[in-house]
Amino acid sequence: MASAIALAAVGEVGKGFIHERTSETLPCQATNKLFCWDWAGEHINRYETPTLQHLELVAISVVIGFVIAFALALLAHRHQWLQPPLLAGTGVLYTIPSVAFFFLLLPLTGRGMDTAIIALSAYTLQIIFRNTMIGFANVPRAVVDAARGMGQTDRQILWRVELPLAMPEIFAGLQVATVSTVAIATLAAFAGGGGLGEPILKGGISFKTNLIIAGGIAFLIAVSLGLILFAVQRFLTPWRRVRQAG
Amino acid sequence: MPSDELTQKAGASPVRYSGATKRYPGSAKAAVEDLTLEVPAGEICVLVGPSGCGKTTAMRMVNRTVEMTEGDIFIGEQSVRDRNPAQLRREIGYVIQQIGLFPHRTIAENIGAVPQLLGWKKERAAARGAELLALVGLDPDLADRYPAQLSGGQQQRVGVARALAADPLVMLMDEPFGAIDPINRERLQNEFLRLQAEIGKTVLFVTHDIDEAIKMGDRIAIMREGGKLAQYATPAELLMDPADEFVEDFVGADRALKRLALMRVSDIDLWEAPLAYVGQATGEVRAKLEGAEVPYPLLVDSERRPLGWLSGRDLAGEQVPARPDSPLGPLLDRDDVMRDALADLLQGESQYAAVVDHEGRIDGVLSVEIISEFLASPEAKTEEHSATERPHG
Repeated sequence: MASAIALAAVGEVGKGFIHERTSETLPCQATNKLFCWDWAGEHINRYETPTLQHLELVAISVVIGFVIAFALALLAHRHQWLQPPLLAGTGVLYTIPSVAFFFLLLPLTGRGMDTAIIALSAYTLQIIFRNTMIGFANVPRAVVDAARGMGQTDRQILWRVELPLAMPEIFAGLQVATVSTVAIATLAAFAGGGGLGEPILKGGISFKTNLIIAGGIAFLIAVSLGLILFAVQRFLTPWRRVRQAG
Repeated sequence: MPSDELTQKAGASPVRYSGATKRYPGSAKAAVEDLTLEVPAGEICVLVGPSGCGKTTAMRMVNRTVEMTEGDIFIGEQSVRDRNPAQLRREIGYVIQQIGLFPHRTIAENIGAVPQLLGWKKERAAARGAELLALVGLDPDLADRYPAQLSGGQQQRVGVARALAADPLVMLMDEPFGAIDPINRERLQNEFLRLQAEIGKTVLFVTHDIDEAIKMGDRIAIMREGGKLAQYATPAELLMDPADEFVEDFVGADRALKRLALMRVSDIDLWEAPLAYVGQATGEVRAKLEGAEVPYPLLVDSERRPLGWLSGRDLAGEQVPARPDSPLGPLLDRDDVMRDALADLLQGESQYAAVVDHEGRIDGVLSVEIISEFLASPEAKTEEHSATERPHG
C-alpha cells in the first residue's frame, strides 16, 4: 500500500530527472533495450556504495525497530491492556505512505540517513510487535501452567518457556519486516538517505538496465536476508524439526 | 545414593485444609467454601465432584497457583501462606491433564526441570532422570527425544516422572489420566498405584470420574456446587453409607456393584468344592456330593491343583478318570478383584469358578449365586431412604 503510493510519486518526481540526467548516451542506451550488457559491465562498480548503504539502512532500521517493538511486546505481555493501543499506534505509523513520511520528517531531522532510518524503523514496529504478541499468545497455556506449578518465577517462565516457544512467530515477523524494509529502503533516496534508490533516481526510471541492476540487487538482498533469518530460526528451534509420533 | 531417594517414605507430609475458602471478586458464591479436611501422609485423597464444584480450585490452593481468600492450608506443620510461592511449588509435584511438557526441551531436560530450579549438579540431575525413566517404565533411549516424538501415554509418564524428580513432599494431580484413551488410562492408573505403593507420597488427585476416584483413592472428598464438601470418607464408607442424596446420586445407582471393585475374592465366603483325585473310587466322590454347596466334583491333582469339573458320566465308572468331561472354565486367584472375577464368570458363561491360592492350590469355589447374595445383602445395599428421612446436607 505504502509502496504503491510511493511508486506513483516516483513517476511524478521522476519526470523532471530523466531529461537532465540521462545525458550519458550509449548506443544501447539510446535504443533502450531491456538490458545492456556492455553498459552493465562498465558501470557495475557504481552500485557498490548504494548497495552497502542499502544494507546499512536495512540492518540499522530492523535492529532499532526490533528493539523497540520487542520491548513494547514484553510490556504489553505483562500489561495486557496495553495491547490494543500499541497495536493501533504502530498500525497508524504503518499506514503513512513512505514518501510522505520522509517529507514530513525533513523539517525535523533534515535530509540524510537518519531521517530514512527513523521512517524505516517505524514501519517495522507493527509487524514485529504483532508477531511477537501472536507468538506469546500461541504458547500452550498448559505449558505455562506446568512451568508455574513447578515453581518457575514469572521471569523464568518468560525467558525459559514463552520466548523460546514464541521464536517461530518472532522470526516470521523479523523476516517480513526485513524483506519489506529492503523494498521500502529504495525510497530513502528521496530523503537523501542513499541506498539503491539513489542510482534509480539519478539514472532515471526510463533506463531499463539501470532499473534492472538496482532492482535486482535489492531483490537479491531481500532473498538472502530472508533465507539467513530462516536458517537462524531453524537452528534455534531444533525441536520443531523432529518427526511427530504416530 | 540416588536409589535410596526413591524408596524412602519419609518424604511425605500430611496436608491439612483448615477452613480454606476461595472467593472470586464479583462472584456471590464461593468457589471453595470453608474446606476442612486432613489427608494423612502417604495417602491418596481424591477430590471428586461435578464440573464447577471447585475441586481443581481446592487442589490449586495447596501450591498457591490459586490464592485462598480465607482459612489456611498446612503441609506438615507449615502454613503454605508463609512460604514464597515459587519455592513452595518446587517441593510439590504437579501433574496436569494436558501434561504441559516443555515442547522445546528433551525428555531428560523436562524431567530435570525442577532439579535445575533447585540448583542440583548436572550429574545428580542426570542420574535422577535415568532412574525416574526406569521407575515410570520408559525406555532410557527416550531421554534425548522431544515430547512431540512420544505417544500420549508416554508423555503422561514423563509428566509423572517430572513431578517426582525432586522427591516432593506432596503431589498434586489434576485429572492426570483424563485425556488418555480408556485402555492406556487403566494401565497408567495401575502403574501409578504400583508406584505409589513404592514411594508413598501424599497425593491430592482431582477427577470428575467416580469410578476413578474409587479405584485410586485411599480417601475420597466429594464436593458439590458452591465448593462445599459433601462427604469425606474411604471409598468403602462412601459406597456403603452415602451422607446424603447428592452423594448417593453422584456415586450412582450401581454403587453395590461398584463395591465389587473394592473387594478381593478372598474377602467373601467361598463355597467348598467336593474334591476328586485321579484314580479315586467314584463311590467316595459321590458320597461327598451329598449336601455339598457345589453339585459337581472338582478334579484336582496330587498337589490339589484344579484340573477340571467331573460330570455324571465321569462318575459312571469305578475310578475317577484322568481326563474330566468338562474343562475347568474360569480360574480365579484369591487376590483377584471381585468385579473382574464376576466379569470372568459371566464371560466364561460359567456358574462356578475355582479359586486358587498363590501356589495354584484350590482354595474354594466362587459362584454367581454368592455374588448376587452378597449384592442383595444389607451389607452391600443400604436401605432405600427418602429425602424426608435424610435431610439435604
